Amino acid sequence: MELEIATYRVRDVEFGPATALRDGILSIDRPALIAHLLEDANLQAVDVEIARPGDSTRIIHILDSVEPRLKVSGGRDFPGLLAPPDLAGSGRTHRLDGVAVIGTANLSGAADSQGLKEAIIDMAGPGARYHPFGRTANVVLMLEPRAGLAATEAVAACRRACLRAAVFLARPTRALAPDRVDAFTLAPADPGLPRVAYVMPVMSEGEIHTTFFYGRSVQSLPHLVHPNEILDGALVSADYWIGCHRSPTYLYQNEPVIRELYRRHGRDFDFVGVLLCRCLITSQEEKWRQANQAAKVARMLDLHGAVITMSNGGHAYVDQMLLCQQLERAGVATVLGVDEYADADGADFPLVTYVPEATAIVSVGNQEEIVEWPAVERVLGGTAFLAGNAYEKGFQRRPDEPLTVALRQIYCSTTQLGWSTLRGRAY
Amino acid sequence: MGGLRVAHYLNQFFGGVGGEDLADAPPQARPGAVGPGTLLQQCLGEGATVVGTVICGDNRMAEQQAATLPAVLALLRDLRPDLVVAGPAFNAGRYGLACAAVCGAAVRELGVPAVTGLFPENPGREALDRSVIAAVVGATAAGMKADMEHVARLALKLARKEPLGPADVEGYLPTGRRVNEFSDRTGAERMVEMLVRKLRKEPYVSELVVPQFDRVRPAPPVADLASATLGIVTTSGVVRAGNPEGIESWRATKWARYPLAGLEALSPEAFTCVHGGYDNRYIRQDPHRAVPLDVLRRYLREGRVGRLHEVLYTTVGNVMPVERARRLGREVAQELRDASVQAVLFTAT
Repeated sequence: MELEIATYRVRDVEFGPATALRDGILSIDRPALIAHLLEDANLQAVDVEIARPGDSTRIIHILDSVEPRLKVSGGRDFPGLLAPPDLAGSGRTHRLDGVAVIGTANLSGAADSQGLKEAIIDMAGPGARYHPFGRTANVVLMLEPRAGLAATEAVAACRRACLRAAVFLARPTRALAPDRVDAFTLAPADPGLPRVAYVMPVMSEGEIHTTFFYGRSVQSLPHLVHPNEILDGALVSADYWIGCHRSPTYLYQNEPVIRELYRRHGRDFDFVGVLLCRCLITSQEEKWRQANQAAKVARMLDLHGAVITMSNGGHAYVDQMLLCQQLERAGVATVLGVDEYADADGADFPLVTYVPEATAIVSVGNQEEIVEWPAVERVLGGTAFLAGNAYEKGFQRRPDEPLTVALRQIYCSTTQLGWSTLRGRAY
Repeated sequence: MGGLRVAHYLNQFFGGVGGEDLADAPPQARPGAVGPGTLLQQCLGEGATVVGTVICGDNRMAEQQAATLPAVLALLRDLRPDLVVAGPAFNAGRYGLACAAVCGAAVRELGVPAVTGLFPENPGREALDRSVIAAVVGATAAGMKADMEHVARLALKLARKEPLGPADVEGYLPTGRRVNEFSDRTGAERMVEMLVRKLRKEPYVSELVVPQFDRVRPAPPVADLASATLGIVTTSGVVRAGNPEGIESWRATKWARYPLAGLEALSPEAFTCVHGGYDNRYIRQDPHRAVPLDVLRRYLREGRVGRLHEVLYTTVGNVMPVERARRLGREVAQELRDASVQAVLFTAT
């Protein structure tokens, strides 16, 4: 499987008479983009704003974020959701580097027990480094689904809008020369190198929250996946639960562990592929079944090592730890990526659960740390915070006022895919 | 010299009172620096003075802590310290426990920072309050000079209210507090790097450490007890009268081996119990309640048990650190194996 990703660097984004990319400036025909998104009958209103690095802007009610992409050969954009589920990961794909589509919506009325949670980012000040979008020019979509839609339909309409906007914005690159082209092939490696896989449990729980693999909710039987498929739009986030450890589509398109495994492939190990799994499996038997199946596949692949991340939290740790245990018992050396629940003062034991085999753990930070950030001039995405937990006193203020919340509410602040340099440390 | 007033805590050995035979020495104070305190004074430099030293026997502290600790604390209080330094205790278990207790009490009761030095496997580690900083030091006093410099550096930082960095950078045992920081590498980079090191069997440092517990698979049942050799092991704390081996009443560091040949029963005159984790008076009344030698003798006569390995292995299982329990278990198991023992009656409390 050979994939070429052509990078077009974008220095800034502005509204203009036509959607075009010139000298690193992306101009967006705002009415045309809005009209394009409103072709979906399940959306009744759409607005678009731009949030740049350094803007005194806070974005709330975030659903997903997507990097603008255009498939120019060898497949289609976001197969399974915007197109038939053709195989992704081959041919040529254009990407806008430095731009993200950030979809927001106020769907609190649609929330049930599985409802949507707040997710916040700041574009300036100390908060800007806690999420991946403090360095990108963000095209913020404010989406209003048709009244009366079921929650599942409403979030589906928002999801389609984010993906369609991402394709719309990348279209001007079709005939342009890129700044850089990267080739992704798992070239045959020295057979003496250790064989390594990425075990990637992604979340799926309830009717609203899931992860789509070619348009279908991820299953709890492990799939062997080529890393290019994930980099090329086969995996789309529909996790609208706790903000801090969401794995957005943007980070699947730029999956940090896959990029790092590719970088060292053929030199330090033979990167065999991705074992896509599920976390937040709702029955204990099914958790065991998945872990056993993953270990079986690992043995059949003759694996020596695996990185195991996770997505979301709570009993997702059980899925991750069982995978760790069964893989280690199958002779596979594992390293885990986790985020911590160490309480606001950092004094609590940081893991929800563990197995004794978990001897190599990377921490992406304590999600319960309290952060205090200054007031902002502009808020995008909504006018009031969603109802939070009772201890989220910060949510009693207006969103433009100084913000005091746990990192839990900050979008992607402790995503276990490891995009960030944040880490928890023992003192 | 001047500035900060430093009180130093030492055990009977480092305090120059005496060796193991004086491990019951009561708390006592000396003016100025004593023994390793001289080195501590050098390491602290001009800004701090070791104004006095409090010395106490390790057994005294281990076995009568409730009465001893307040006495130690009173002597420390008299020194009006700005800072308490205990040890370092290296890998000496009872000393480490004493240093942990003294430091914890100093922080709680005197409101001053307290620092000790422990080898990471010292059982005193388990007894540390979160408020106490324990510098990581070597297993023995062989590296005393460098270790004392390290203890003094951390002590001065705390006394001057300078913030301490992460445990692995500053060289102290983690206190259980987690702090978010920005690293120079992403989580993904660190995960892949850790995996490469693990695959190459190179050292790596896990960013979180999970507690480790063994799961012991029971041996298959004895097929025929009437032809088997049986051993007796206990962690109940039954010892010979007077506890001549000095087995500790909690966090024991050793086990004892008593010959049973010619002994029909365990009399309360010849045997007692030193376990400090339960009301042991009923065992002291009749040691058979923990070590049923009387019944075993009868079974031998009746032919229900083939043969007895005529040795009692005993220790105290009270709050023993897992690592040490593993070591003691291995040592006893080796003796049993050497004696071709096929089954063991293992009594705990």
